[in-house]
Amino acid sequence: MSTDVHTLAGAYALDALSPEEAAQFRQHLDVCESCRIEVREFQKAAAQMGAAEAVTPPPDLKARVMALADRTPQLPPRTSEGPTAAPATGSTPGPTPGPGAGPDSGPTIASIEAHRGQPAGTSRRWTTWLAVAAAAVVLVGGGALGARALLDDSDAGLAAAPVQVFEAQDAQTATVETRNGGELTVAVSPSRKEMAVDTRELPALDDEHVYQIWSVQDDGTTVDVAILDDPGSGAAMGLPEQGTQVAVTVEPKGGSEQPTTDPVAQVDPYAV
Amino acid sequence: MGSDPGLRLVRSREPNDVDALVGRVAVGDSDAFSRLYDAVAASVYGVARRVVRDPERAEDVAQDVFLEVWRKAPSFNDARGSAKTWILTIAHRRAVDAVRRNESQKKYDGRASVDEVTREEPLDGLIEAEEHGAVRDCLETLTSLQLESVRLAYFNGYTYPEVATLLDKPLPTIKTRMRDGLIRLRDCLEGAR
Ligand SMILES: [Zn+2]
Repeated sequence: MSTDVHTLAGAYALDALSPEEAAQFRQHLDVCESCRIEVREFQKAAAQMGAAEAVTPPPDLKARVMALADRTPQLPPRTSEGPTAAPATGSTPGPTPGPGAGPDSGPTIASIEAHRGQPAGTSRRWTTWLAVAAAAVVLVGGGALGARALLDDSDAGLAAAPVQVFEAQDAQTATVETRNGGELTVAVSPSRKEMAVDTRELPALDDEHVYQIWSVQDDGTTVDVAILDDPGSGAAMGLPEQGTQVAVTVEPKGGSEQPTTDPVAQVDPYAV
Repeated sequence: MGSDPGLRLVRSREPNDVDALVGRVAVGDSDAFSRLYDAVAASVYGVARRVVRDPERAEDVAQDVFLEVWRKAPSFNDARGSAKTWILTIAHRRAVDAVRRNESQKKYDGRASVDEVTREEPLDGLIEAEEHGAVRDCLETLTSLQLESVRLAYFNGYTYPEVATLLDKPLPTIKTRMRDGLIRLRDCLEGAR
């Protein structure tokens, strides 16, 4: 498909590729400037073709659109260069057991968790984390993580499942600063009963470490949600029960059965 | 038809107008968003209508498009093309997604035949947009196979393998006809300015 692939520029600009082929072609676009230019020009021509079909929408549509925009936060502008901070600065390598971890892991974690209904101290009881079989949080789509990027430029890299949550009409989003100098953006869609994280602004890790996502129940038990092999793809998951928080830790490559470091971020989805 | 009270003429605007409005929407200006809506809603809704056909679903698509525009305006980069192209590209992708979600449920049941779908059928409230004349003239420069391939993909949301099946042509033929057709359309529209 080395020479043939260029001819897909037309079908791509017409949205006539399967999601898999479109993702492949997008990879080609990364390395082929002539196709990039061609796609841009084709999209312009296609847009003119579409604009020639203008039809007045029903008048009440505008009020709905304006009302929705009014209560929908805008996404932050994408910065051209992702963070290139040293791997996991600030995260403690290795386990941090013992009650002494409490104060250390507590106030320094930037989080937007709500403390309602929780006795102080229990929400970050990392030392008592236990594996539980019944996962309160379930990945959507059987592997949104590491999935091929299926999206257009504006969602560059994010996998399809998280983007669907971010783009849900009732999606609420919040961005938290992580303890290791990055940002984590969370979207919660009550109507879809899903949440998603945009992990593109997490600091890059070295080859020996990965980010891992956990659900933290209000008794302190943790459940492995996902290992972010590719932080660029983000993750989507079912909305956990009230009282369950979602945390991100840095773990050795391959992930851990239980968190071995303090979380770089912890979020209460019901406070988003 | 011109007396239809529901019909509002879209004022022609400078292309830069939409770009400038998106720039202001990017900083949360809801007045600019309102004007942006006025400027492009008919085009967005028109694409949605042509692709998904059902008026209510087309409205849903248009609503999602505007919400996406609102949310992503801060990241819009005009170096990659005009704001109007950006918005209509979003509109088309969302319309096609909506059709395919629906089609994957009922597969080919009840799908219109090729003869039916390729026929020109003006929609209620179709607006004589400024681009219309040039686009119509330029589409006439395409060969019939190029034109059918482009139209079936763009207006009916078919994938190129589906187009190949419908037109009973090999896949590579359809792929190249789509590209060649867009090259002709692009070159003709460039010359028309
Ligand atoms: Zn190429």
